[in-house]
Amino acid sequence: MHNFYPWFHARANEIALIVAILVVVLVTIFADSSQSYLQDPATSAEDILRNAAMLAIFALGASVVIIAGGIDLSAGSMIAFSGTTIACTMLGIQSLGTLEAPVAPWKVVTGGISAGLFAGFLVGTLHAWLITSVGLPPFVATLATLVGLRSLARVMGETVTQALLTGKKSQIPIEQPFFTDFLRQRVDLWIYTAIGLAIFTFILLGYTVLGRHLYALGGNEQAARLSGLRTERLKWFAYVFGAMTASLASIFYLANEGVSAPVTQARGHELNAIAAAVVGGCSLKGGVGTVAGTLLGALFLRVVIDAVAKIIKSGADVWEGLIVGVVVVLAVTFSQLRTARGYGRSLFGGALGLCAIAILSVVAGTVIGIQWGSSYGLMAGILMALLFSGVRWFENRSRVSI
Amino acid sequence: MTIPPIIELKSIGKSFPGVRALDAVSISVQRGELHAICGENGAGKSTLMKILSGVITDYEGQLSIDGANIRFAGTAEAEQAGISIIHQELNLVEQLSVAANVFLGRELKLFNSIRDDRAMNRSAASLLQGLECDIAPQTLAGSLRIGDQQLVEIAKALSLQSRILIMDEPTSALTESEVARLYRVIAKLLSQGTTILYISHKMDEVFRLADRITVLRDGRFIATRDKQETDAIEITRLMVGRELSSYVAVPRVASDECVLEVRSLSLGWPGHARGYRLKDISFKLYRGEILGIAGLMGAGRTELLECIFGAATQPPSGEVYLEGEKIVSRNPSEACRAGIALVTEDRKRLGLFPEMSVGKNISVCSLNQMLHGFLISQRREREGSQSMVNKLHVKTASLRSGITALSGGNQQKCILGRWLLTRPKVLLLDDPTRGIDVGAKAELYGLIQSLCQDGLSVILTSSEMPELLALCDRILVLNEGRQTAIFNRAEATQPLIMEAAARG
Repeated sequence: MHNFYPWFHARANEIALIVAILVVVLVTIFADSSQSYLQDPATSAEDILRNAAMLAIFALGASVVIIAGGIDLSAGSMIAFSGTTIACTMLGIQSLGTLEAPVAPWKVVTGGISAGLFAGFLVGTLHAWLITSVGLPPFVATLATLVGLRSLARVMGETVTQALLTGKKSQIPIEQPFFTDFLRQRVDLWIYTAIGLAIFTFILLGYTVLGRHLYALGGNEQAARLSGLRTERLKWFAYVFGAMTASLASIFYLANEGVSAPVTQARGHELNAIAAAVVGGCSLKGGVGTVAGTLLGALFLRVVIDAVAKIIKSGADVWEGLIVGVVVVLAVTFSQLRTARGYGRSLFGGALGLCAIAILSVVAGTVIGIQWGSSYGLMAGILMALLFSGVRWFENRSRVSI
Repeated sequence: MTIPPIIELKSIGKSFPGVRALDAVSISVQRGELHAICGENGAGKSTLMKILSGVITDYEGQLSIDGANIRFAGTAEAEQAGISIIHQELNLVEQLSVAANVFLGRELKLFNSIRDDRAMNRSAASLLQGLECDIAPQTLAGSLRIGDQQLVEIAKALSLQSRILIMDEPTSALTESEVARLYRVIAKLLSQGTTILYISHKMDEVFRLADRITVLRDGRFIATRDKQETDAIEITRLMVGRELSSYVAVPRVASDECVLEVRSLSLGWPGHARGYRLKDISFKLYRGEILGIAGLMGAGRTELLECIFGAATQPPSGEVYLEGEKIVSRNPSEACRAGIALVTEDRKRLGLFPEMSVGKNISVCSLNQMLHGFLISQRREREGSQSMVNKLHVKTASLRSGITALSGGNQQKCILGRWLLTRPKVLLLDDPTRGIDVGAKAELYGLIQSLCQDGLSVILTSSEMPELLALCDRILVLNEGRQTAIFNRAEATQPLIMEAAARG
């Protein structure tokens, strides 16, 4: 049992996430009035795991980019773009056949998926070019594709449908049984894909020269360049990996939704991926992050979203954004409090602290008021205000006593 | 009645998690003196200064100013008490003007509401003139040279009417003329009655400036001496805790095998009046030789090394031959593969991977030699890194320790080890002893010497002339991008080199 502490210390974030996931599940079991976790554990687990697997696939891509010191804001748009590319390519290949002699479905599906992955490869390469050769900051380069890819996807969808179908539509229904039946039903395949990609990424980051150099690049780009690392190739790899994982995820989005929708598909989901990576311990400054952390981060996000949906019993998607926001803030705050960085910091000090107390109390009161009635909301708001004021009072007192 | 000392520290102690940074340190500083604080890196100088300037508020012991006990709750209170600190790493907002920096946080206002830029410019200009510095107060702070930036910080301290000025290794990045100017400014401040606490490694400047010298070692107070009753050897001994044999160069057998040849290397400088950073540099480097590059700040020392290493901002013209073969390094990775290594000047910014362990920092350049299949062999990586830790005597708890936990000298050895693992033919060292304490310096000198005896060829730049004179077989002098002289060891003297470096 010697030297257990360093092992524990290095994995504190992952262990904390596992505990947090278990706590959220336990709380949901007790707080959910219809007891769906107990009544039908298989369906609940399947639902959570399917969503978590879908998120984890491109969250892994996001974390590789973040570890390499960059950021990819375009993952959500990339999913929509790749989805549309797959749908259009499949339409195109189908149109080559005739009613009497249709093209074999496996050819259609393989062609479509290859086209989607290739689109990811191209977009990732474009990112790398914009960032290394043109010299744009990663934030700007991927912001451009975040807005650009969606409208490009829409144009592409409309052009192809006008040519091959009856009228101009941006949404293309997916009719291939591979997506609508096979993938949709075999949830285990989603999980295997996520796990397979995770193992690949784990080996890549932990045990290959390329992976080590990605960490070095993110940790100190100048030093990496002056150490003879080929920083431009490394960045190219990171962004291609990021975009291609989004392409991979788009296959499951198509299966899940049965349609390619350039405007709405995976909208805002790039932020979920970044959130999963950050909750999982990646530092946005680069050079820090683990595969296990990102997987657990994705799972944690989905568990919390599912828990709120179960407890509130309204559409989970309505609350998703708020939940992701709160979870990211809480997770990063806690992980900072654990390390020395958070030592001696006061959360509610000064005028800004007073404003924060008011804002948080009003938001909490409003949310609870909407859900359970205004008297509960009022009570919750007052309770929150008292709680935070207590924290403030305690912080001020301990500061004086030093 | 005796006047109380202006600063009195009584048994100050401070612990960080795992480290006792200061232990029972007592110092008293007299009004109007220049009190030097000496100590190796990690001796506790910075911690002490942080306590004095109100950065650290949580410590043991007592601090009194003018005989009155005081405990600062923050830097603002220390400023009010008349204490200003000029950090080694300057704290200017580079995008703001000089005047705006001087008055940052205390902007002058018209009718208590409108910012009065004209008044600020006027008074900043007069403060700067008093410091022999004729920069316009409207200039952006970031566009100034480091020496001028430092004077802006001093002007800021003056505008605060500080009675006590703490200077943390102020000359570490200055040219000789800037140092001379700083000395004049210091003399002027002292004559106006300012008390100065001066932190430095450099014995010559400590003995030139200080009235009294206090030595710290490992967080403990060792001694305070009047300048008259001590000498550099004693202070060094007190700092290191052991006798330091002064450095003796080992005579080496000169080889006539040319390893590296540079022919009329030039590097342009678009948008600058001079038009070039380097012009017509030609020299040969022989096997086992140490070639020194001397020159003032801005002479192009770093640029020359960067050109050879393929790290220059734009492609240089001219030719570089390595062992008789022409090489073109368009980027560092090509130079690396050709067998050239560069230990950079700014360790923290350009050398270290702060999130990585000691072992990974050492192995990062040579992982391709440590493969097992296509994966990194943990065993080979460990062996490689460990061999360098042993060879270079890196003091670290283990290969898994964080690199930032090491002292500056040991970090520098790790980076040296990183490059030695790549088995280079030519090693470029850009000011390798900057910010490293005396003991570690001597050790590095010995290491460089023994590497050369094993047949490595070294090009070394340094801002300290004695270092070049002691170590190098030949010294090439740069003067504003031009090569003005190459001296052999026998003929090189400090005045000759200075003359070649500053020739108009």
